[in-house]
Amino acid sequence: MNALKCAKELGRDAIFEKIKAAGLKMSGLRMGDLAEQLKACSVGAAVDAGLDNADTDGALLALLRENPERVLEGIKIAALALNTGEANLYLPEKESELAAALQPVAEKYDIKICSGIVDVRKTEGDFYLHLASAADLADLFTDSYEDGVYVAVNGQPLKKVARDTKLGQLTSLDGAKAIWTGYHYYTPAEAEELTVEAASNALVRVLTDKECLVEETKKQLTEYRRVSCGKCVFCREGLIQLEHEQREITLARGKMDFLDLTKEIGEAMRFSNLCSVGQRAAYAPLNAVEKFPEEYESHIKKNQCPAGVCGAFVHIYIDPKLCTGCGECLDVCPEDCIEGKPKYIHMIDEFDCTKCGKCIEVCEDEAIIQTAGKLPKLPNRLTKVGKFRKH
Amino acid sequence: MAVITIDGKKVEVEEGKNVLECALDAGIYIPHLCHHKDLHPLGSCRMCIVQQEGKDEVEPSCMLKAKDGMVIHTQTEEIKRLRMLALELLLAGHPEDCSTCPKYGNCELQILIQYIGPKTGRMKMRSKGFAVNDKNPLLLHDMNRCILCGRCVRACDDLRGVNVLHYQKREDLEVYTGTLKDRLLKDANCRFCQACAEVCPTGTIRDILATTEKKKEDYVVPCRAGCPAHADIPTYLRYTKQGKFDEATAVIRERLSMPKTLGYICNHACELECKRTQVNEPMSIRNLKRYAVEHDSGKYWRGKGKQLSDTGRKVCVVGAGPAGLTAAYYLRKQGHDVTVKEALPEAGGMLSYGIPSYRLPREIVQEEIKVFTDQGVKIETGVRVDKPADLLKEYDAVLMAIGGHNGVRLPMKGNDLPGVLVNIEFLRQASMGEETGLGKKVIVLGGGNVAFDCARTAKRLGAEEIHVACLEARDKMTSDDEEIEQAQEEGIFVHPAQTFEAITGDDHVTGVDFMNVESFTFDENRRAIIKKEAGSEHHIDADTVIFATGQRPDITEASGLTLGRGNSITVADITRDKKTSLEGIFAAGDCIYGTKSVVMAVESGREAASQIDLYLGGDGDISEVFAPEQFKDPYIGEIDDFAKLKRRMPKVDPAEMRQDNFRLFDHGLCDEDACAEAGRCLQCDLRLQISTPKTWADFSKEAE
Repeated sequence: MNALKCAKELGRDAIFEKIKAAGLKMSGLRMGDLAEQLKACSVGAAVDAGLDNADTDGALLALLRENPERVLEGIKIAALALNTGEANLYLPEKESELAAALQPVAEKYDIKICSGIVDVRKTEGDFYLHLASAADLADLFTDSYEDGVYVAVNGQPLKKVARDTKLGQLTSLDGAKAIWTGYHYYTPAEAEELTVEAASNALVRVLTDKECLVEETKKQLTEYRRVSCGKCVFCREGLIQLEHEQREITLARGKMDFLDLTKEIGEAMRFSNLCSVGQRAAYAPLNAVEKFPEEYESHIKKNQCPAGVCGAFVHIYIDPKLCTGCGECLDVCPEDCIEGKPKYIHMIDEFDCTKCGKCIEVCEDEAIIQTAGKLPKLPNRLTKVGKFRKH
Repeated sequence: MAVITIDGKKVEVEEGKNVLECALDAGIYIPHLCHHKDLHPLGSCRMCIVQQEGKDEVEPSCMLKAKDGMVIHTQTEEIKRLRMLALELLLAGHPEDCSTCPKYGNCELQILIQYIGPKTGRMKMRSKGFAVNDKNPLLLHDMNRCILCGRCVRACDDLRGVNVLHYQKREDLEVYTGTLKDRLLKDANCRFCQACAEVCPTGTIRDILATTEKKKEDYVVPCRAGCPAHADIPTYLRYTKQGKFDEATAVIRERLSMPKTLGYICNHACELECKRTQVNEPMSIRNLKRYAVEHDSGKYWRGKGKQLSDTGRKVCVVGAGPAGLTAAYYLRKQGHDVTVKEALPEAGGMLSYGIPSYRLPREIVQEEIKVFTDQGVKIETGVRVDKPADLLKEYDAVLMAIGGHNGVRLPMKGNDLPGVLVNIEFLRQASMGEETGLGKKVIVLGGGNVAFDCARTAKRLGAEEIHVACLEARDKMTSDDEEIEQAQEEGIFVHPAQTFEAITGDDHVTGVDFMNVESFTFDENRRAIIKKEAGSEHHIDADTVIFATGQRPDITEASGLTLGRGNSITVADITRDKKTSLEGIFAAGDCIYGTKSVVMAVESGREAASQIDLYLGGDGDISEVFAPEQFKDPYIGEIDDFAKLKRRMPKVDPAEMRQDNFRLFDHGLCDEDACAEAGRCLQCDLRLQISTPKTWADFSKEAE
């Protein structure tokens, strides 16, 4: 890498001019003209590089993994432009291994590695540099820069595509239930028309019928709670309430009232928190409730998880007409919740059943059935094989 | 300057000042919780949100900087709705029942709830399930009540620079504040300044010593409250730490007329109250006072104090002990003509005749008295006053400060045998170099400091075997532990929990019969109930017995004064009104409240001076300011293992060097130790500098 060397030779004013001329844009949530953002900071301001605080997936960390020098040189170029010695690289708390691996090279560049999110209260006046933009800066000074947006579709490797690429052009949206990108859910129809600029965290995930949006939202909220510093009331407490509501709904204890409260808390969260964690965290539940009301209605009103994901709505039962009373299932049940004796129709006590499915695997008669629908009539006491009547 | 409009009211404010403070100062209440005047704004609680005209969203006023022309609304429907929502969210993780909280009635959150009146029942309530942490001294943490306003973290970090408290996350993602790895405060380098408890708006971090029964400044700075003269201890310790001994002495002299004497022998009630005791060991306040005073040049006080012009009024003080001399000194400063009449040949009272010179060298006493005579106090020695009323012919007021110079002989068999001596008489004779009648085997009866003065004086006069016996158990003895330990080092035997059955002998003392005390309590009428151990009768041989069982004023009803319990002179009120039964005659010191301490006598003398000055037409204000105003730096910083710093000990001569002479054996702290010891102070007084947050209640009171 010799981006930094090139930049040094140019000097501060020329660095500015080059960034301006190339029209470099800040990636992530602080989108805008990078040269202007640099200019808005006072000379000597520290550089805080990293992902957006709300970025819990970290797809863009691939840039650091692939070529750390590139990103680190980009950070140093920004520091050079601001004439500052203080440059920090923020890595998510869970990325301690990456941090350790980067430590020696960061030291070489005199960049301090910080763990966790950027404390916006303590870094007021600093220059925030998105990781992807750091990579762009390095590219610019090795004359390999190409305008575009990084995306990682459905867990595939990160790639850079033109800004006007539509999400629908990136991947097939056939059979999609929802698209999760840039901290938002989109309907397939919306996504078709959306450009990749919406993917501010590079992540594009197509969710299908196999995924439950309530469950996905709950997991996402837990991730936000994990990275939240806990200072802002709406982020800390709002997330707890929102997460609680989603969990209750997945556990078949949801109420339609929850949705109003979700909207009220979510709407307020958008502007009631100081950093992007609390601001962006609101969108997952807000979008889910507003754009996919049927997901919630079927959980709450119809007692069904359309994706069959939420265990509370899944039933496992032993078909009384198929059971031969062999006892295989009884032996493997880790919860001891199957009742039966030889030649009698076995029964599952649903109260203790964890829906692990081990019984289904061992049943040679395929008599054990998992369903997201209603249970058929089943025996309520031990009944001899062949003696069960439906009435 | 900038002019901003808040709720239609134009306010002139400093440009850039936060809008919340602007509003509060202008008498406009904006609810707030995480904001504290002395701390950096956090903008987290969302109580202080306001709407700025021309902006889309509401924003916290604590983080909004005033700019000329700004128009602010604090009470729109939207703001009220969002405040309520924020409060509902906050309360979801807070215990619902206020009435069981120690902060009840004094909690900022509670007042906020009353102001906002949040909806209930919408949020999922949760109990955080933190164990109440009572494993630290002075501070108690109940994180279940915490609302994460972060004031404690900012106080610890920004205000104090100690950096002990941090935001942390439990495994289940519940956020709390505390030390890293939940270490004990003493292991986390806490400096126990208690700023965290001071700023906590709820009952989460609590000062264990806080009580409604005392004034706040008294329980926050108990050393100062515990000193009978209320010397400003934290201030002079801080000066001592800085090596500013002139300033330290100036602070001491504002309250204590005999600082050197007290530096040597004060019974240091302050140290018993010192909060550092809970952390490890109390501050060595007395020794630091001694160090400061011994390194004082007199720059701030000598010749600088108050001296009002002569009033033409004459006061006679009877008794030249610490109470009488102190009163005389301040009365002189108020402009009165003061004469002290002393029965003994030297002034000083017990300082010259009671306290042995190995504890308090006589030249120290003379040096202190010289300050008084330099001020114009006249002292006549060898003059005994039996009829104080006669003095009123010549003087406008009389102060009786005659101390307690009659030792008490307990009513028991053999108490008048030859060989039986009495404490104060014995000490006086020893002090004057007179024959005391002391034998070789001595038993001192009594367990106070005077008993040990007698025993150790006997040792120095050549007695071979010395016993001290008292009724109280060892841990209840009224003498200082230091005295007891040093006496034992000198070979003196101590026998606690003994009843004195009889002094044996026919024509001379042969010893004392004792029994062991099984229990010693007091009934509701303060009468002693003593249970003796059956069959524990025993005898100790002796040729001398010294009663050290109290002293009484040397006065009779023939003086014309009404006397009370223990022969004390009756006054209207021991602290507030020192008038005796005779008009124009006042009394102060040991002779009104029994034998106490030198510092009590000094304070009693000060009170008497003030009251007599009022009686003579003055304003009664004897206060003086010597010391320059002190900058008390709130940023105390980190010190490794601060809580574990050991109390520095004075240099004390070993027993074999000290036990056969009357030379001073305690040489105080050395230079290096004095600074280190002063640095151990928790600086409890810094807490009183922290602003008290304004609540809705303050504003509604103002409105009324």
